[in-house]
Amino acid sequence: MLSINDLHARVEDTTILKGLDLEIKPGEVHAIMGPNGAGKSTLGYVLSGRDGYEVESGSVEMNGKDLLDMEVEERAQAGIFLAFQYPVEIPGVSNMEFMKESVNAIREARGENALSSAEFLKKAKDACKQVELPLDFLKRGVNEGFSGGEKKRNEIMQLIMLEPKLAILDESDSGLDVDALQVVAKGVNSQRDGERSFIVVTHYQRLLDYIQPDYVHIISNGKIVKSGGPELAKEVEASGYAWLAEAEGVDA
Amino acid sequence: MSQWLNHVLERASTVDDWLSPVRAQALDTLKQQQWPTRRTEAWRYTSLHPVADLELKAASVNATAEAPLIEGLNSLDLVFVDGQLNTDISQLKLPEGVTISELSAPSQTAEALFAQVKPSRHLFGLVNDVLAQQGVVIDIAAGAKVEQPIRIVNFASAGIESHQRTLVRVGENAQATIIEHGSGSGNSLNTAFAEYDIAEKARLEHYRFALHEGEAIHIGGSHFKLHDHAKLNSTLIGYGSQLTRLDVDIEHAGEHAFAKFNNVYLLAPRQHFDLHSTIEHASPNGTTEENARGIIGDRAKAVFNGRIHIHRHAQKTLAELNNRNLLLTRGAQINTKPELEIYADDVQCAHGATVAEIDEDALYYMLTRGIDKQQALVMLNFGFVQEMVSQMPNKALADWLQPILKTRFESMMEQQ
Ligand SMILES: Nc1ncnc2c1ncn2[C@@H]1O[C@H](COP(=O)(O)OP(=O)(O)O)[C@@H](O)[C@H]1O
Ligand SMILES: [Mg+2]
Repeated sequence: MLSINDLHARVEDTTILKGLDLEIKPGEVHAIMGPNGAGKSTLGYVLSGRDGYEVESGSVEMNGKDLLDMEVEERAQAGIFLAFQYPVEIPGVSNMEFMKESVNAIREARGENALSSAEFLKKAKDACKQVELPLDFLKRGVNEGFSGGEKKRNEIMQLIMLEPKLAILDESDSGLDVDALQVVAKGVNSQRDGERSFIVVTHYQRLLDYIQPDYVHIISNGKIVKSGGPELAKEVEASGYAWLAEAEGVDA
Repeated sequence: MSQWLNHVLERASTVDDWLSPVRAQALDTLKQQQWPTRRTEAWRYTSLHPVADLELKAASVNATAEAPLIEGLNSLDLVFVDGQLNTDISQLKLPEGVTISELSAPSQTAEALFAQVKPSRHLFGLVNDVLAQQGVVIDIAAGAKVEQPIRIVNFASAGIESHQRTLVRVGENAQATIIEHGSGSGNSLNTAFAEYDIAEKARLEHYRFALHEGEAIHIGGSHFKLHDHAKLNSTLIGYGSQLTRLDVDIEHAGEHAFAKFNNVYLLAPRQHFDLHSTIEHASPNGTTEENARGIIGDRAKAVFNGRIHIHRHAQKTLAELNNRNLLLTRGAQINTKPELEIYADDVQCAHGATVAEIDEDALYYMLTRGIDKQQALVMLNFGFVQEMVSQMPNKALADWLQPILKTRFESMMEQQ
């Protein structure tokens, strides 16, 4: 469903992604691990089409279409969802209003009817329940004054509501205690249906105890340096990322 | 000197009515005024160039107009067309406790308020003092709880110069809602000044809609005097035009008075809007909450000067003043100056101003949720205005204003 080929991308004058390849089939969960600064978030931003992240070369196709040719909102409407590492606060726009616009924009793009207020509310309540977010969070400004953990759960709530084809979770585990981590993982797992694909970005192996990946990739200095099965995550846990420097030395 | 002001002085000498003694004093003061330049503090960022040599006609007596309908408001409307009262007051069914008379008819209320609440430092206030022959005097009897909003509608037609005056006394323990609703888009000059005296424990809900646009020049003010335990909740909405300038004064004359003053300006490209507000805390235990929020389009210019002055005896004052602005383009301009002057030592005060551009991170976040750019911009940037509208206590007014402001904002975004 997603095919990334030799992707090079830069921010301002710095090339950050330096030849990244990744092939994702429907229903697969790919974990991407790597040290800070490796380019994990950059990958999410490039896939979602953020301004200022310029693709130098390479290609990204989603279901045969050139993803890089689409606007940010078109990508979302085509089924890309990015759960942010640092979700943005939007005071003055309620979570409810935000989600309603968003759900209906995506439904419209898929040729579906807009949800009625009652239908929307029911769906929103169910989604909040799944991630244990109190309902009054719907009335608050988007992420406004939410704790770190609440923001992450709010992202997963959105994932549940928006039913994407590919969800990219950027460190949805960072800053969470074990209980919150389990809530997030449970929410994500509930969305695994054999069709929906996931890129699960994480710095630590811990999350992958709860969200079982099909593949694990290690990213370093803007490209994938090692791929394997879930066991690769365990290796990382045991040995950390120090070996990467060595491996890169060998590479060069 | 201005040709226009010379004509004002000439015309003033022909005005002869029961207010002439007070007008004469105003005229004396006016004669001593210099025509403002960029070096005049109160006009530093607003050029009076469009007025200096203006020559317009006086109003025709026959002009009529219907007040714009606001659904569900059920207001008692006093309609002025080019400064001329178009409503037959004698035919109105007044709510209990309400007395309304014309400015031309001598009354104690008018005598007590005319040029008494409004400070004499406002140049155009003085012009209005000497020229405004038409206006309304509204008296809310002590203890009256008036549910029906009273709306003063001011139309300004192209080619006309007009001056209108409003005087309102809210008696002890009384409650009322007054709306000043002004509009006009053709080349015109309208001054409209209103003075409010809010007695002990009285409450006034006040709105001023300065919906002048295009070539209209609108200069006016709303001036309030609050006595012990009086409450004011005021909302001002401005569009900006060739030149819109408003001065608002709120005087805490009594103790334990409360004033909430919200205002919103939404400036289409190339429009000008200037709001000067002064809050005088002359007595202890007063509270002021002032929030000004603006969105400024391309090559439009907003001026906000918010002054809070806490006198030496005004201990235990709580005062907050906040001004937030969003510039839609690099060509949009805001000159904002919140000023606190504190001479009492036991007070809590805060003030601040921010100027923002479009929040690209928030925009991106919304786009990643499939919301299209135009809609996202509306949601993002309209929110902080919407907050002000939703704080308006009158639901019918809020419901009316909300879509109007939203449509206006959408068209501002399209014009960028
Ligand atoms: N806006 C930016 N301008 C310049 N450099 C950036 C910017 N954003 C990220 N970088 C750099 O790109 C590299 C990768 O960052 P990022 O993708 O956030 O890494 P990760 O998510 O793996 O920790 C880092 O070296 C970071 O400093
Ligand atoms: Mg990151």
